[in-house]
Amino acid sequence: MKCVICGREAGEKGYCELHAKAYESIDKKYDEWKKALEISWKEYLSEIVKNPLTGEWAKEVAEHLIKSGEKQGVTQG
Amino acid sequence: MCTKMEKYTLIITEKPDAAQRIASALNEKGKVERKENNGVPYYVAKRDKEIVVVPALGHLYTVAEERKGRNYYPVFNFRWVPRYAAERGANQIRTWIETISKLAKDADMFVDACDYDIEGSVIGYCILKYACGNKESVSKRMKYSTLTKEELEKSYAELRPHLDFALIEAGGTRHEVDWLYGVNLSRALTISARNWSGKYATLSTGRVQGPTLKFLVSREKSIRSFVPTPYWEIKAEVEINGSVFEAEYEKQKIEIKTEADTILNACKRKNGQVEKIDVKRFKQNPPVPFDLGTLQSEAYGFFGYTPRRTSFIAQRLYLEALISYPRTSSQKLPPEINYEAILNKLSKVPKYKKLAKELLSKPELKPIEGKKKDPAHPAIYPTGKLPERDLDDSEKKVLDLVVRRFMAVFSEPATKQSMKVCINVNEHHFYLRGRQTLKEGWLRFYRPYVRLEEVLLPPIEEGQTIKVKEVISEDKFTKPPPRYNPSSLLKKMEETEIGTKATRANIIQTLHDRKYVREERMVVTNLGFDVMEVLEKYCPPVVSIKLTSELEERMDKIQAKREKRENVLVDAVEILKPVVQELKEKEKIIGEQLSNAIKRARLEERIIGTCPVCGTGKLMILYSRKTGKRFIGCTNYFKGKCETSFPLPQKGSVRPLGRNCRGCGWPTVQVRIKGKRPWTLCFNPDCPLKKERRKRIEMRNMR
Repeated sequence: MKCVICGREAGEKGYCELHAKAYESIDKKYDEWKKALEISWKEYLSEIVKNPLTGEWAKEVAEHLIKSGEKQGVTQG
Repeated sequence: MCTKMEKYTLIITEKPDAAQRIASALNEKGKVERKENNGVPYYVAKRDKEIVVVPALGHLYTVAEERKGRNYYPVFNFRWVPRYAAERGANQIRTWIETISKLAKDADMFVDACDYDIEGSVIGYCILKYACGNKESVSKRMKYSTLTKEELEKSYAELRPHLDFALIEAGGTRHEVDWLYGVNLSRALTISARNWSGKYATLSTGRVQGPTLKFLVSREKSIRSFVPTPYWEIKAEVEINGSVFEAEYEKQKIEIKTEADTILNACKRKNGQVEKIDVKRFKQNPPVPFDLGTLQSEAYGFFGYTPRRTSFIAQRLYLEALISYPRTSSQKLPPEINYEAILNKLSKVPKYKKLAKELLSKPELKPIEGKKKDPAHPAIYPTGKLPERDLDDSEKKVLDLVVRRFMAVFSEPATKQSMKVCINVNEHHFYLRGRQTLKEGWLRFYRPYVRLEEVLLPPIEEGQTIKVKEVISEDKFTKPPPRYNPSSLLKKMEETEIGTKATRANIIQTLHDRKYVREERMVVTNLGFDVMEVLEKYCPPVVSIKLTSELEERMDKIQAKREKRENVLVDAVEILKPVVQELKEKEKIIGEQLSNAIKRARLEERIIGTCPVCGTGKLMILYSRKTGKRFIGCTNYFKGKCETSFPLPQKGSVRPLGRNCRGCGWPTVQVRIKGKRPWTLCFNPDCPLKKERRKRIEMRNMR
């Protein structure tokens, strides 16, 4: 299976090792954002896409999640 | 060659400049004669006996495989050979060795005067053994830390009876182990990629290079996967005696917006009261003397010089006898260097006169010292000698830094005072901080290389009412870890004890040369990621930081005669054998991965930036199928979406600059044509900078 973002070899979740790490980071940080701003998963994703401090891979994953309309904790299996 | 048939003493140095200085220092009769043999210089000095001083050009011998050819691996049999036999473009070494061999024939005494460190010892040993015909066992050794006349004369008068064989064995083993790692792993990567794609590209890794790249890759992964989290900082602007100061809230980070809003509302339009004032006085000791690492770090911080550049500059200053030997780990200055004599010489230089005299008037000169030691050399210090030529700017700066650091270590501690004022605003606490230098001490000697952060507060008393002008909440986000720069990476290598002071800066450069990283704040390229992925997947031991530093430790033990070369080599081969076997078995799959990475990297090199016209495509250097000419086009052209294109100069090389035009923000390239100064090219025909330039030319023509 190829990574849905970069075409490298992908693991179980549909992401390569590098984008999988970024996904994990996005998933983990949502709790902090929710607590801080009381925002939805969708709002959170668009916030991190806009943020210049967000890492390149995290941005790519967030953009992909917005496009595919995936919910938190659900990844391509 | 020497015309006289009398026997002479042959002194071997590491570099030509050192040979000239040693010959001049030891010469007692008439003038030093400079001679040449096939372009190789050597010097004849006269004392009670004739002395011939011949330089090397760094390493003249290297480790190479016993069987010829570069296209095979594994390779575990090696020998020491002249560099010209193993390296392309090292033909000059042949005449160098021939000259030394000829000069050795008429010599009856041999002295190794190469730098007294691990590399210098290996250089001298190989020359004495191979070029002079096994003279290593009868050779004497000169040991010095500066190239001043006094020290060289003393060193020649007190020659060491033999070479430091433990140091040589440690250095030789290091070369052999590094060669075994480098040649096997680099060949495995390069051959795998070439066999798959049919195209050649040099890929390399090594015993220290692999773990160093691993640091960078690990940091880059954290940066690229980083998701910032919001937090809020609350500050109060307070007015005291007509001046406005900023006080920070007791909790530095507030992680919930509603909590920040609550605090803000509670403090709005409320005045504060000074609840407590804490005043602390403390002493700040002078910095420790420079070892190479701290000099490199300071030169990077103040001048932006890479560690490699600083190392080169320091080496030049050493060869001019202006500073002591720079490749030292020591942070100690022994009294034998004669502090007073150095300060006396420095007091002759107008800009150091006052400070040097002040130190000389002290009843005792005692430097502050650091923990690090070096058995061969003291910390870096100035000799006090005046330059014999006009130094360039960078040399002047580094010399000034070394001189001021030297003076600072003999000075008194600085006395500072910090003040923390706690202001209660409606039961919320804000802190106002002040910092002041009461006694400058060493700071005066080290200026301008001091960072003073003075915040002077007006007189305040406990119980005093403070006018709060405004309370503000600032939106903040956590930041990703910083990228390594050459200085912080060097520090990391030092901390983890991988590489040596002589090799670390070059390894960082190799990572750039191989295109595993780019830019000064090092960004790992896709090629760097792929190489690391292959190494971690198929040969994790060679990127293990623990294993590398363990090997370093064992090599250090050879120097201390607590470990044997043979044991270290056997173990290194034992680690390597299964690793190389695995690489060989997986050659096809590794070759495919690396070839794709190289292809992507070459493509990346041609991307200039985002297309400013369509905003989604990338501008790229392309080649016309019809004419073969190069131009810039948008990648969206292939999708039929954007037809943006620009012509490019056909001569010279074109390289994306990675930064946008300061006039219009469009991406730029750098054009380099042989014999001309490189220039930056912006493609935007309507760039305001271009318009300005055109206007200036028109105006000039009208005059």
